[in-house]
Amino acid sequence: MQLVISLAWRNVWRHRRRSLVTGGAVGVVVFLSVVYFSFGGAAENSLYQRLTEAAGHVQVLQDGWRDAGTFEQTLITDADAVRSTAEDLAATHFEAPLVVGVLEVPVLLSGIERSRGLALRGQDWPELAQQRSLVGGTLDGRFVSGPGELVLGASLARALDVGIGDDVYAYTPTGRGFGAAIFTLVGTVDLADGTTEGSTAWTLLEDTQILAAPGAVQRFDVHGTTLLHIADDEVSEDLASALGNALPNLEASTWLTLNPGTARLLETLDPLLFAVSIMFFILAGLLVLNTVYLSVMERIKEFGVIHALGAGDRRVLSMIATESVLMCTTGAVLGTVAGLAVVAIYADGLVIPGLVEYYAAFGMNPVFYLSIEPQQLLFAVAFAFVTAVAAALWPAWIASRLEPVEAMRFQA
Amino acid sequence: MSLFSLHDVRKTYRVGSVETHALRGVNLEIAQGEFTAIAGPSGSGKSTLLHLMGALDHPDGGEIRLGDERIDQLSRRDAAHMRLARLGFVFQAYNLIPVLSAVENAGFVLELRGVSKTERIERARQALDWLGMADLADRMPNQLSGGQQQRVAVARAIAGNPDIVLADEPTANLDSATGQQLIDLMRNLNEEHGVTFVFSTHDPRLLSHVRRIVRLEDGRVVNDDANAS
Repeated sequence: MQLVISLAWRNVWRHRRRSLVTGGAVGVVVFLSVVYFSFGGAAENSLYQRLTEAAGHVQVLQDGWRDAGTFEQTLITDADAVRSTAEDLAATHFEAPLVVGVLEVPVLLSGIERSRGLALRGQDWPELAQQRSLVGGTLDGRFVSGPGELVLGASLARALDVGIGDDVYAYTPTGRGFGAAIFTLVGTVDLADGTTEGSTAWTLLEDTQILAAPGAVQRFDVHGTTLLHIADDEVSEDLASALGNALPNLEASTWLTLNPGTARLLETLDPLLFAVSIMFFILAGLLVLNTVYLSVMERIKEFGVIHALGAGDRRVLSMIATESVLMCTTGAVLGTVAGLAVVAIYADGLVIPGLVEYYAAFGMNPVFYLSIEPQQLLFAVAFAFVTAVAAALWPAWIASRLEPVEAMRFQA
Repeated sequence: MSLFSLHDVRKTYRVGSVETHALRGVNLEIAQGEFTAIAGPSGSGKSTLLHLMGALDHPDGGEIRLGDERIDQLSRRDAAHMRLARLGFVFQAYNLIPVLSAVENAGFVLELRGVSKTERIERARQALDWLGMADLADRMPNQLSGGQQQRVAVARAIAGNPDIVLADEPTANLDSATGQQLIDLMRNLNEEHGVTFVFSTHDPRLLSHVRRIVRLEDGRVVNDDANAS
């Protein structure tokens, strides 16, 4: 058997340039597939990061909040107790958990002459929460750090005709709080998404509580701050389940449950990636087929002799398939190594300058964290093998069915 | 009992409406240990006869036996098995595998039989040694002369210790001196190691040391001289 493999290997290199081009093409396809899958993984991760940075990996909400008719019905009134439970359970599931209480109050926000109706978001603003809320945006001034301070979207500040240091007035007709408050504008944020920027108004949780619902929140966003790759996130579901059990009157949902559109997108992304990759392989397969066919046609006499010496049809077929597999596998191994090197280099983040704005416009993280799943890698290598065998089948079948005498008389 | 037995073997080739009778009822017996030449001019049916004896083609009529086994109607698969196990071949154009060295070519049939590497190399080197090619065992075919390549081809044929070696015009591509050397080597193998040979030739100069000469003309055996030399 060893001689047959050695023979196949030497036959591959009989036409060095042709084999290099063909094996190289397979290598390039495998390389492109690995990189392509890793970019697909990066896109998934980008979506994942954007969604979880904005609203956490798991949210704890009032049961039936979707159907709530009034502001009051959305409130979690025993916020401290729920926070305590959420923090305890988050610590057992996430490496670096962050629990953020959120209370969004419908307000009329006014400068001196202009006003806008919007939801004023009050929440805890530890440094990690500030960083996560600003991905893709820039801050002018500073973040809220004490009571009575406000950060607005830059376009909203312009609409209200207020600048940093100015007073901004908030009125709300709803809730159990004071109903009115004066804030000092301490910063403006320039976000890539203009629509979001035009309705962004952030303050401290305690300020919105005083304004509309003392001691209450609408939700807790539970973040796993070190979770960057969707493939690593197997714990959000477990945490949501644990929180659901521990807080029977509340609803705990994962980021995926809360974004059904994204869930559908993610479900279709992998099949799409595989379909495109299969097309790459079919094109490479045609090149392999051409090479193997030419190789067989040039060696018809030789195969006639091999038949005459007593090699069976299967043996001849396997000899040619072995050549094809060796040629493609060599390319596939080199392509895999090169692809994995690219993934390894950019696993910690790749910024493509021309794409930053486009990605940000879709609310996605402009930093690509390349990643590839083992099954995707296996797919690329296995498909190179399948391509090699499939492409060799027809020429190998021709060679295996040769009549020895006719083949030895063959003139190309 | 004969090693090879051919009875009323006929073969006709048809190209369109034209029929060419290559063999017209050949009867022949080959015994174990014989050194036999099939002689005759071009087109006399020598190659056809050897192809049929080698189960490389089917006759249109008659019967061919190798020992007790009838080989003229074997299936493609069984014919391949039989050739691998019992026959050795030498072809006119050497037909070595160009990417294998002399010793690898000599051991190729053993590889097809699944013989272990150690035994394969040992037997291939021994066969090359018998052909005076031991020193050139690691050369590639393109580093060998025509005569040397044909000696490697003979080594390939005998390395598997077949019942009989069929050589179709083995000297046709060689000059007369080299051709004569090859025939002498084959005869030595026959005499010293008991290898049974049947070879075809159209060159009467090569027949001076051949014991048995079967002359073919127009697809018929016209003379069978068992005591030629």
